[in-house]
Amino acid sequence: MPPRKEVGFMDVDSDSDISIPDDIDAPRRNKGKGRAKAGDKRKIASHKAKSNDQAYAWEATYTRSWEAVQEDEAGSLQSSVQELLARGRRRRFLTLAAPIRRTIIRHLILILDLSASMMDRDMRPTRFDLTLQYAREFIAEWFDQNPLGQIGIVGMRAGLGERICEMSGNPQDVLKSIADRHKLEPVGEPSLQNAVEMARTTMSHLPTHSSREMVIIFGSLTTCDPGNIHETLDECVKSKIRISVVALAAEMKICRELCDKTGGQFGVAMNEGHYKDLLFELIPPPAQKALAAVAGATGATTSANPAADLMMMGFPTRLPESSQPTLCVCHSELKSQGFLCPRCQAKVCDVPTDCDICGLMIVSSPHLARSYHHLFPVKPYDAVPDLIGPEPLSPTCQGCSKPFPTTVSQTAIVSDGMSPVGRYRCPECQHTFCSECDIFVHDVVHTCPGCAK
Amino acid sequence: MSSSSHLSVVLDLSPSQWHLSSLSDTTSSPPCSLSLPAFLSQLIVFLNAHMASQHENSLAVFGAFPGKRHVCDSLVMLYASSDAVEHATPITVDANSYPPFKLLDTSLVQAIAAELDALSTSHADPSPLAPALVGALTKALCYVNRVSFSPSSTTTTTAQPSRDGQSPQSDVTDPRILILSVSPDLSTSYIPIMNAIFSAQKLVRYDPLSLLTLIFQLHPQKVTIDACQIYGAETVFLQQAAHLTGGSYLHLERRDALLQYLLMTFLSPPSIRKVLAVPTQDRIDFRAACFCHKNIVDIGFVCSVCLSIFCKPVPVCSTCRTKFPYKTVQRLKALGAPMAANAESARPSPSATPQPGTPLPDVISRSRTTSGVLPPGHPARNGGGLPSMARSASAFNPSS
Repeated sequence: MPPRKEVGFMDVDSDSDISIPDDIDAPRRNKGKGRAKAGDKRKIASHKAKSNDQAYAWEATYTRSWEAVQEDEAGSLQSSVQELLARGRRRRFLTLAAPIRRTIIRHLILILDLSASMMDRDMRPTRFDLTLQYAREFIAEWFDQNPLGQIGIVGMRAGLGERICEMSGNPQDVLKSIADRHKLEPVGEPSLQNAVEMARTTMSHLPTHSSREMVIIFGSLTTCDPGNIHETLDECVKSKIRISVVALAAEMKICRELCDKTGGQFGVAMNEGHYKDLLFELIPPPAQKALAAVAGATGATTSANPAADLMMMGFPTRLPESSQPTLCVCHSELKSQGFLCPRCQAKVCDVPTDCDICGLMIVSSPHLARSYHHLFPVKPYDAVPDLIGPEPLSPTCQGCSKPFPTTVSQTAIVSDGMSPVGRYRCPECQHTFCSECDIFVHDVVHTCPGCAK
Repeated sequence: MSSSSHLSVVLDLSPSQWHLSSLSDTTSSPPCSLSLPAFLSQLIVFLNAHMASQHENSLAVFGAFPGKRHVCDSLVMLYASSDAVEHATPITVDANSYPPFKLLDTSLVQAIAAELDALSTSHADPSPLAPALVGALTKALCYVNRVSFSPSSTTTTTAQPSRDGQSPQSDVTDPRILILSVSPDLSTSYIPIMNAIFSAQKLVRYDPLSLLTLIFQLHPQKVTIDACQIYGAETVFLQQAAHLTGGSYLHLERRDALLQYLLMTFLSPPSIRKVLAVPTQDRIDFRAACFCHKNIVDIGFVCSVCLSIFCKPVPVCSTCRTKFPYKTVQRLKALGAPMAANAESARPSPSATPQPGTPLPDVISRSRTTSGVLPPGHPARNGGGLPSMARSASAFNPSS
């Protein structure tokens, strides 16, 4: 398919300028202070400070990223490209640090811009088609990582907020609501205030131990609001809603403010790949300390443990396929498979869900277990600086048994967390792993093969 | 049909369990026993059959030994078809054997013997039975990840330039893992095992180069986990692993007939199993045990911070020390009290005539006491709310 191919090429292009994504991401960490500091930092302008502390690309010093790329002994650029990639991947792990409390029970409203500006073709095939495609992937991945969460979808079209999907914990329901692109054809102006108000009222009844979040995908440069959007923003801050915005066109002051005041993340997508990265960064459960900091800054008084609560959950009985078909309470369809609510014995089709009859939250134990890796993450591996060590190093990776390279790479910079010898050591079991396994263990398996924890 | 199939076998090689298995089992009607050497010879026939069924098939064998000094020393990669050429010692070619089989057999047996020797020389440590199975399973996943998703890495590492082009590695379509276990479940390994299961469910490469991610999400690669409990009680973890990844779980009744079980159930790749009648299991219970008393609970109370499960409302979470709001605990206690009272009153006299209009406490108390698996004739098994209502009505009729 030609469009996808182009997606790929754009990605490769953008990776030659690998410092720019950091510049866009930086404000998220600095919470808006980056711009104020930018002036001082420019004078320092050390190689490291530059990429981390500046808010905008044009305030950064000029990077000559192509000079870092060197040919290897065979005259190929392949190894350098690989290293750039690996460095980018490793950088994420360096930010993992102290233990943080994460919100496991999440409620999210995805706000899609369906205004005429979404028909722009600066992202292939159009912003709208790409957004729908990414939204589907985002929802699937989000439910995979947050099995106890719920998603609703609101559209911004023709100056109105439009409810596309009710809050639901079932990925199929949510995906079905945005499956038909003809129902979502973009038209008119977007209204940020209407959509945010609608999303806010949808979430107003939710319990305090769950998070309330909005993710806004915003393609327009204008918003057409009936009232003062700052009042809406204050209401959101008051009800502790975290708003994150992925802008497709350019940065808008109000979008930035929405994110900064509510503790969300803001990013402007530069290309298709970066758009996806920005969106998918919102998938892992957020740390709760950011939320607490925002609450403290606005002077809101909260109880000692605003986000902790005891929840009542039912663990259903699964009916086997061979059982007699009966009607389910959710779709009134005759089915043999299903789950029985332990409190009222009603039969529901899928878990996790809230029982339609008695309102009990029904989960199965694997759903709880799916969230455990957020709570007990694998410790980041340390990069092995050289081949000299107190103990003899194993010749192969402990994970995949691939032989380690025996030569020391010249181009790797140790300060980036890259190991010049391609080895990464678990601080617990002292085993060494290759870069591939390092990523795989931390991103997918969440269990160290060495210490089995 | 030219797609190759990759098989990773995880062997549980705990000596004490194998010793128990080699003793003749008098409880079963025909006494049966399976010693480690007998097991190995049957296993090797199975592995040879896998290699013989298709030329491109690949194989890796992992051993899980009980912890020696450290847990991490206890898992060893015993054999891998892709690496075999490099580390195998020159073997004497026997005119009567097919060289690849000979290579596989000797290297596997030698590796296991060497590990067991090392195990007996280093004295038994006070903490036996380390959760080595988890490590071996995770390692097998890492290996599958490497062989099925490494179109780029093979070309870059200088250590293995010779193998390029020889084995088209991205062709692996049906990666699967077979666990041959003799040990019982270890409750500490629950979370790692679940993590391994979930990663097997979707083994997708995450990459900042979203081109790769795009490709792999179009063709999500799933790993099937098969499990075979050769000796000992049923293991719930392996049952769940097989169920969640679409594999088969087998608990052997006659362990001396292992080879037949292996060939009939686990030889065919998952794509072919759809048209075969492989054993499935329908009776897996996904109810959870509470953290405080290890009871199986129907309705539990869950800490929102760390997801610990309790059977009663508690004021403070025992895992993460979070204090819960007083109001919630009160409310939940009030909610839970009538239910518990009903269950308690129903439990001592299960034969008591059900009161008209309240069939539920009976059902709840019964399903609680059956500790997991419901009996086949239970109304909760046979259908939804309707049959249970019908049953309570019919039970009520004679008395009225």
